[in-house]
Amino acid sequence: MFLLLPFDSLVVNLLGISITVLFTLLLVFIIVPAIFGVSFGIRKVYMKTLLKIFQWATLRIERGAKEKNHPLYKPYVNGIIAKDPTSLEEEIKEIRRSGSGKALDAPEFELSDIFYFCRKGIETIMDDEVTKRFSAEELESWNLLSRTNYNFQYISLRLTVLWGLGVLIRYCFLLPLRIALAFTGISLLVTGTTVVGYLPNGRCKDFLSKHVHLMCYRICVRALTAIITYHDRENRPRNGGICVANHTSPIDVIILASDGYYAMVGQIHGGLMGVIQRAMVKACPHVWFERSEVRDRHLVARRLTEHVQDKSKLPILIFPEGTCINNTSVMMFKKGSFEIGATVYPVAIKYDPQFGDAFWNSSKYGMVTYLLRMMTSWAIVCSVWYLPPMTRQPEEDAVQFANRVKSAIARQGGLVDLLWDGGLKREKVKDAFKEEQQKLYSKMIVGSHEDRSRS
Amino acid sequence: MGSAHSVPAEMRELADRTGFTSEQIEHLHRRFKQLSQDQLTIRKENFDSIPDLEFNPIRGKIVHAFFDKRNLRQESDGLADEINFEDFLTIMSYFRPIEMNMDEEQLDRFRKEKLKFLFHMYDSDHDGKITLQEYRNVVEELLSGNPHLEKESARSIADGAMMEAASICVGQMGPDQVYEGITFEDFLKMWQGIDIETKMHVRFLNVDTIAHCY
Repeated sequence: MFLLLPFDSLVVNLLGISITVLFTLLLVFIIVPAIFGVSFGIRKVYMKTLLKIFQWATLRIERGAKEKNHPLYKPYVNGIIAKDPTSLEEEIKEIRRSGSGKALDAPEFELSDIFYFCRKGIETIMDDEVTKRFSAEELESWNLLSRTNYNFQYISLRLTVLWGLGVLIRYCFLLPLRIALAFTGISLLVTGTTVVGYLPNGRCKDFLSKHVHLMCYRICVRALTAIITYHDRENRPRNGGICVANHTSPIDVIILASDGYYAMVGQIHGGLMGVIQRAMVKACPHVWFERSEVRDRHLVARRLTEHVQDKSKLPILIFPEGTCINNTSVMMFKKGSFEIGATVYPVAIKYDPQFGDAFWNSSKYGMVTYLLRMMTSWAIVCSVWYLPPMTRQPEEDAVQFANRVKSAIARQGGLVDLLWDGGLKREKVKDAFKEEQQKLYSKMIVGSHEDRSRS
Repeated sequence: MGSAHSVPAEMRELADRTGFTSEQIEHLHRRFKQLSQDQLTIRKENFDSIPDLEFNPIRGKIVHAFFDKRNLRQESDGLADEINFEDFLTIMSYFRPIEMNMDEEQLDRFRKEKLKFLFHMYDSDHDGKITLQEYRNVVEELLSGNPHLEKESARSIADGAMMEAASICVGQMGPDQVYEGITFEDFLKMWQGIDIETKMHVRFLNVDTIAHCY
């Protein structure tokens, strides 16, 4: 420590100067534009540069692999087709329900039952575990994140250097910058909303609260270096409506809320989230539920209905899948939000996986790990489409309406429309389980048949 | 293998006829090569190499459907011994998803084709009718997963279902009227309301329909 003494003042000075410069730059280039909603276009340039570098890196890997004669491993993580491991009962009920309006509680054999097995058979013929391995053709572009590439060992020195540089930039430059921004954004949100909360109710308060929210979300967007393209902005949700979107990660909220004014719905958490939530609700009415209230569906429905009917309140933002999905498909929408009878504004969000995988696998990563992963990726690039509003037709029920909205979202975002309830665990169907399925089917048919013949 | 990589012109023709995109055709071609073990044609035995198919109760009927000449759109009847890649694609095309730009007439035709495929599955003797015996066969196969099931139960279930089908198609029958079998028109009637065309398809994961965000 004593050895540092002669250099002490120099180091301290340099440190002081660099921090000041950093913060000034931060302020000028990031926070001020966020407040006013303008953009210098720095992120777009950044994105284009990155793409060029990725392409170069990919070419190098391919060339390197060819020289060494190694087969490239291109993981088809999901196979070539989407299989939905719906339970047998669910799917057969769904088919029957959409067909004749027969009572569901008397299931006997129907002509349409063959359909489930037929389709499952064709799916296995098209693609089973075997196809998920090798492809000798071109590799998808590598984005210099070792977590997304399995061919890592086959690269040249130049590429390793580049990757190392990438790590340095991401962890030592981008990460602290982003954390500083996030911190600024969140504290501004909390203080801003609390301050606005003291104002008397009226137009001034509404105006200020909207803008405080917007500003802080914009800062958070820059904290993640999220490059978002909004399409069809004329369909943006209006007051008294419900905005419905597919869910991939907690970031979805920030992405949508930085382009419009929404009222959030959710459960009150403890800790930092709780502080933020309580502050937000002071400035404008969001719908937060206590943990115990969440299970009471009628209460939830009533509060949402009340909110929606008050035209002065902002549109509600809801993610009906109930959980984060990996952005290649859209799972079954829970029907609660579709029963309320308000206009639904569907929104499709699609992330570009080239720059970073935004999906939050909550069974694998906690929230903090997830946020760290996000902040050490290059960027988050996504597209948001605002679809035209939909209302429930008189002859459909909530489930059919939900499915209609889901299909529209899936089609727009290029996602696969699945019947699967996102709450089911995603395990590989074990052999014994498959046999059980067949037995279950026969039990289903025979059981009811015996009941009927007995009565 | 010389013909392994399809010439672009052939590919385009296949794409037009079956409605798949060239990327999907490439995937399927790779799968075909795997199943056929690099031969030009597939026989029934090649389907034995798919372990997951073993558990499907109507495995036999599904494999049979691939070789059924009616599905292959050939004029003759009966079963083919082996099929090539084009035939494979033809069968797979019964399971492709609807496109957004289809009009009413196309959708209707599409639906009829898919239902015809299912009809052929039931109608094993190719006489254009699903008789009681054929119906029983299908029900027995579907319930074959349960070893404890009596043949009698399966039979009575099939009979009950057949009577129900008769009542939908023909209405009330006189005591000495014999119901010959479900024709394709009756079959269509029974599937009314079930929008099979949106459910009877296999969904390809399209990696390139990722929206281009820039």
